[in-house]
Amino acid sequence: MQELLARLKTLDPNASLALRVIACFDELVRGGVNTQALLGAAASLSGCVAGYARESGRPMRVSPAGETLEPAPPPTGAHEVDGLQVWLEREGPEQVNDAMILERLALALAIRSGRATTDPLRRLGALLDPEGTGEQRRAAAAKLGLGPRSRYRVASLPLFATWAQHPAMLEDVVPTRFGPMHVVVLPAETTALEARPCGIGAAMRAEDLHRSFATAMVSLRLCAPPEVPVVVADDYGGLVELLAQCSLEQPLLDVEELEDVMRHPWATVTLDALLRSSSVREAGRLANVHHSTMQTRLESIRDALPFDPLDGIGRTRIGLAFLAWRLRHSSVLDLPPPDRR
Amino acid sequence: MDDGSSGRRPPFDPELRAGLAVVGGVFPPTITPDLIGFMRRSYAGPPLEMLLAGRAILTEDRVFPGAGGHELLATVFRPESATGLRPGVLFVHSGGLMFGDRFSGLDRMLEFVEDLGVVLISIEYRLAPEYPDPYPRDDVYAALEWVASRADDLGVRLDRLLIAGASAGGGLAAGAALAARDRGGPRLRGQLLDYPMLDDRGTTRSTHQFDGIGVWDRISNETGWSALLGDARGGPDVSPYAAPARATDLRDLPPAFIDVGSAEIFRDEAVAFADGLWNAGGHAELHVWPGGFHAFDIFAPHTALSRGMIQTRRAWMARLLAD
Repeated sequence: MQELLARLKTLDPNASLALRVIACFDELVRGGVNTQALLGAAASLSGCVAGYARESGRPMRVSPAGETLEPAPPPTGAHEVDGLQVWLEREGPEQVNDAMILERLALALAIRSGRATTDPLRRLGALLDPEGTGEQRRAAAAKLGLGPRSRYRVASLPLFATWAQHPAMLEDVVPTRFGPMHVVVLPAETTALEARPCGIGAAMRAEDLHRSFATAMVSLRLCAPPEVPVVVADDYGGLVELLAQCSLEQPLLDVEELEDVMRHPWATVTLDALLRSSSVREAGRLANVHHSTMQTRLESIRDALPFDPLDGIGRTRIGLAFLAWRLRHSSVLDLPPPDRR
Repeated sequence: MDDGSSGRRPPFDPELRAGLAVVGGVFPPTITPDLIGFMRRSYAGPPLEMLLAGRAILTEDRVFPGAGGHELLATVFRPESATGLRPGVLFVHSGGLMFGDRFSGLDRMLEFVEDLGVVLISIEYRLAPEYPDPYPRDDVYAALEWVASRADDLGVRLDRLLIAGASAGGGLAAGAALAARDRGGPRLRGQLLDYPMLDDRGTTRSTHQFDGIGVWDRISNETGWSALLGDARGGPDVSPYAAPARATDLRDLPPAFIDVGSAEIFRDEAVAFADGLWNAGGHAELHVWPGGFHAFDIFAPHTALSRGMIQTRRAWMARLLAD
């Protein structure tokens, strides 16, 4: 992997390789892999032999090709945590990700050997965990220096997001059902990040940031670069939080009917414009088409649906169905080709 | 029928999933025609010096006549210690029919040169879409005839000549084995088909199970086959030498070794091809590696699954070719 990492860095100089190292060990821990596999990953990432020793038992060494080598005692200067030593047998100067690889390796080994159950370095995970208690989240927030009365937002990005600027901020990799996510905590006033794709969650108090995270994930999944590189939850308010709580894999009335409409190449732009305006003329201006074109499109939408999308409760139905359709068909978390980011 | 669009699919092996988190971006899962240029840059084989570092292998570039006599390059890899004629392996590289070169994915093959003492011949066949069907398969077949006709000169034992290919190269290798049978061409000792690309029709369940994830999804496959076949893709007029899944007669073929991941689109066509060989009275060894994405042994060779795949493949090669 070291060779591929180097190649990745050449192809995409802004790629956050440290985040990928974190995500790699997260996946290994979640997958419950054994000591040999953890050492193999560290060796493969670094391109040199990785070793591990504890007070008792034989030391273990694994090559970048994943082969177990003859045991040898730890070298001086091995990284030591709680009576557990890990090292990389690098000849020559230390490389930029070595410390990160050793830190994550040590932690993963501690969890594998039953010495640790959680990751003490990963407080964002505790802060954003909806399963945790309010007290746990408040404690996590306090440790992170988040004021109990201040308001913040969570932003979610895929690991492959591109950053025009990446200032220092409170950030981490958090596992989700969509895979590992790059997560950032922002002050409430910040509603933009120079990164794409990016979902920015609703502003909440620190102890409610798990809810902001949920809205950030929905916002992220509503992104569709290059047309929609960033979505801010505030744009949709309670709708995104409602959608965060829904299981959209189940069949849904109105969304099924919308499939036919969405086959038109103009569908997304047209529906968005209609929903954001109060007249067909205004919608035409938003979508950059003549109002007669907009009228024709509206008629074909009306023909395809069993209700009038612009009349009374029909506006709500089409609005919600449109968002649900976009989430169901979201491809923003599929790895995009590099020159389209 | 469940066409795979229900969203159920085998999960990736945990070590491989971790690998994807790291190397994601080197090989996008979905390759469309506008990405061919990018892929040619990012999937180019490593420099020869890097491939050979620390290995006791001699190399030599040769020119061979491809389809229509067009001059093409082959690199011959020979163990330093070799004397006399050695078993020969003709290798057809991967790259979706559109990219890659004779040095792509060669690490595993070079181990056969070192460990089994084979002479490896890796060829530069012409790529689609600039050179559509039949150029790639005709180049590969021409290379096979060239190796057989120059066996002494290349230091290859004709009674131990094997064709090997990975992914698109696996499909082309299987096609060349079919053609050699039909045309009374060189007798092959075996065909090594690593996660081969065999079927242009895109109708299997596994083809539809991995959209947008892993390495090489349905769209990428359509891009590759369209580059090769144009509008003929999926239609009635595709040659079994281009898409060996089309072959209706699988009798009298050399012993096949087929490996594939359970979490890749080629799973079903690989299994079906092995099944076809058995039913035709042939000899085939099939390994489906659980949770493996396409070409996982190239992207994450250090993992337990990859090491298993590499050792299993090597054992088969040793049975056929070792002294």
